[in-house]
Amino acid sequence: MEKIIGLLDKYYMVYLQGLWGTLWISAVTVLCGTLLGLLVAAFRMSRSKILNSFASAYIEVLRGTPILLQLYFFWIGLPKLLPFELSDTMCIVVALVINASAYISEIIRAGINAVDKGQWEAARSVGLSEIHMMTHVIMPQAVKNILPALCNEFITTVKGTSLASVFFVGELMTSYKSVQAATFLALQSLTIVGVIYFLLNFILSRLLRVLERRLTASD
Amino acid sequence: MTDEIIRTENLKKSFGQLEVLKGISTTIRRGEVVSIIGPSGGGKSTFLRCLNLLEQPTEGKVYFKGQDITDKKLNTSKFRQSMGMVFQNFNVFPNMTVLDNVTLAPILEKKIPKAQAREEALALLRRVGLEEKADEYPRKLSGGQKQRLAIVRALAMQPEVMLFDEPTSALDPEMVKEVLNVIMDLTRSGMTILIVTHEMGFAREVSDRVLFICDGVIKEEGSPDQIFTCPHDPSTIKFLSMVL
Repeated sequence: MEKIIGLLDKYYMVYLQGLWGTLWISAVTVLCGTLLGLLVAAFRMSRSKILNSFASAYIEVLRGTPILLQLYFFWIGLPKLLPFELSDTMCIVVALVINASAYISEIIRAGINAVDKGQWEAARSVGLSEIHMMTHVIMPQAVKNILPALCNEFITTVKGTSLASVFFVGELMTSYKSVQAATFLALQSLTIVGVIYFLLNFILSRLLRVLERRLTASD
Repeated sequence: MTDEIIRTENLKKSFGQLEVLKGISTTIRRGEVVSIIGPSGGGKSTFLRCLNLLEQPTEGKVYFKGQDITDKKLNTSKFRQSMGMVFQNFNVFPNMTVLDNVTLAPILEKKIPKAQAREEALALLRRVGLEEKADEYPRKLSGGQKQRLAIVRALAMQPEVMLFDEPTSALDPEMVKEVLNVIMDLTRSGMTILIVTHEMGFAREVSDRVLFICDGVIKEEGSPDQIFTCPHDPSTIKFLSMVL
């Protein structure tokens, strides 16, 4: 315990930096992952065979390979593919976003499919265009199906960012590694990082639950 | 016939191996009230749903005001605006108020100004006794009220034809009448109406013509008096003897 306090006293800035790293990487991943996931879900549900098969393959590959492998793949591959310089951190963030988008697109698709078939028919029967049907009738109802699973996905994402420490991109697990390397106090440093992760997710899940209740209040 | 509004020619519809409609040819005249009766699974609802393309016909033609609606180039959502539909399960939009249910399509698709759409919607809601529910959400409505709302939602687009798919089948008995009364009012307004129903008394009272659909074909058609008092086809006789 004394050692933990000692570590916190001396290295709190390292942990705070790590927390900040985890926070912004998670936020970007979730936000961009949701937007990209929406697009992939739209492809997956489109009538076009090409878009549909592309989205299916995208989802299957990303869900069927380990995320750590994907991180390596983008870390090594992306700088070679792109004509401009991309930092390690950005490569990892891109990989995380793409990975999250595959899972999120399936959550969105399931939520949309769970809307009663009669709602689609009624929307069409009054002459709504397909876009208006989605924006005004189907999506508002689908959101209520999507939200709980999406909240879980957010928390999975926060924990998933820890894998980025393999590439020293400066999130919480990287902080653990730096402090451990400097002090050889592995268990203590790990405990500190673990508590921060736990508190972060605990607070996040509570916040999301409140948000969820707000959004589903309308019926 | 110059006052024809809908005509089907050898309309067929299959779901996989199962052929539900086996060639239906009929003509609906403007202002006509047509009841469609027959046993469950006989194709009544499928026939109705082919008329506004909720089901795509497998074969044959459907003409609306002389235009072939099975034509791929047709703007389907535009065409559907002239054909209102009321479903067995109401299918009111639960995520918006009663008033918004009614004004949604007129505002979005007909670009009617909000204030005007609201006024017209309130007038329609008044006609079916739902005016004071305008700002409620549908979850607070009874089945009968939901169905009246569904009828008003369809009417708000000022359709030329109304399709009713067993509008009272999901209702508690005490609510059937309030919905039938609304439909009956509508029949007197000169609207073209097709109604799939199991309410034989109602069909007899309001229809100009009755179609008996069984095994995917029109087995018999005629005036309500003819169908209900002296049916010719054996399957009609059998069906009526079971339901009347």
